[in-house]
Amino acid sequence: MGFSLVAATAIVGVAVLISLELIVGTTIPTITEVHNSFDEMKDRAIDQIQTSINISDHRTKPNASLHDINIEITNEGSTTLKLADFTVLINGTLKSFTSTTSYLYPKNSAEIVVLALTNGNNKVKVVTGNGISDYYEYTYP
Amino acid sequence: MGFSLTSTQVIFFIASVIAAGAVSGVFIAVTQDLTNSFSEKGERVQDQLDIEFIIINDPDNIPSSGGNYLFYIKNIGAVKIPTTNDTFNLFVDGEFVVIANYYFADTSIQTDEVTTLYVATSVISAGDHNLRVVGPQAIDSEFAFTI
Repeated sequence: MGFSLVAATAIVGVAVLISLELIVGTTIPTITEVHNSFDEMKDRAIDQIQTSINISDHRTKPNASLHDINIEITNEGSTTLKLADFTVLINGTLKSFTSTTSYLYPKNSAEIVVLALTNGNNKVKVVTGNGISDYYEYTYP
Repeated sequence: MGFSLTSTQVIFFIASVIAAGAVSGVFIAVTQDLTNSFSEKGERVQDQLDIEFIIINDPDNIPSSGGNYLFYIKNIGAVKIPTTNDTFNLFVDGEFVVIANYYFADTSIQTDEVTTLYVATSVISAGDHNLRVVGPQAIDSEFAFTI
């Protein structure tokens, strides 16, 4: 009877150790990954709050019967913005653009160039990589 | 008498080992199921934290093309988002839009990139509307606009 109890306790003890290993081996990496994702989400939220842009000026030049525009954007926030992540809409339509620099640092300005736009009243919307935007309207000619 | 005592002890020993083995097996199996579920739940929570997108259209300039209105979805989250009719559902003014009436230009959007969502013009009449786009893990984005 005594040896049976010892054997049964040993078997259950090994099972408990295996279960603990399973719990620790799964729980810790899962909690770590969720924690990392939460940190990234928090960083994104902070960046969004600290991001602000202003379309401060524009220059136009004729391009056959159309025109090109240089849009001057000022970083009014405290985060560095990557211009390749920007999106430009002209009259609601997505337009491709080029930029004079790769990064827009706080309190600095940069120009983005959009080619071959139709004449008349145009409404520009510039959206940063993290979704912050500014509008601007102009008329050409 | 001596033999039967030994036999009884052997029977008790075998029975206790079998019982302990059965209990241990069930215990380990239940623990494994729990940890698997915890891990899967963790992945879903992680997706919910990582996925974020917005509709970036100009609200009073919704472009149209080929019988569809074009909505631009920008991925502002931390992971690539699969953009299919299975992963996204649309509601216009609270009404569910059947999957035959919309599609995406791309099958996925990388972080910071934009894809175009095409919604049939028959679904949206002239006037003010509200578009709700529900993506993976029920992450959603709402957008008020005028046609």
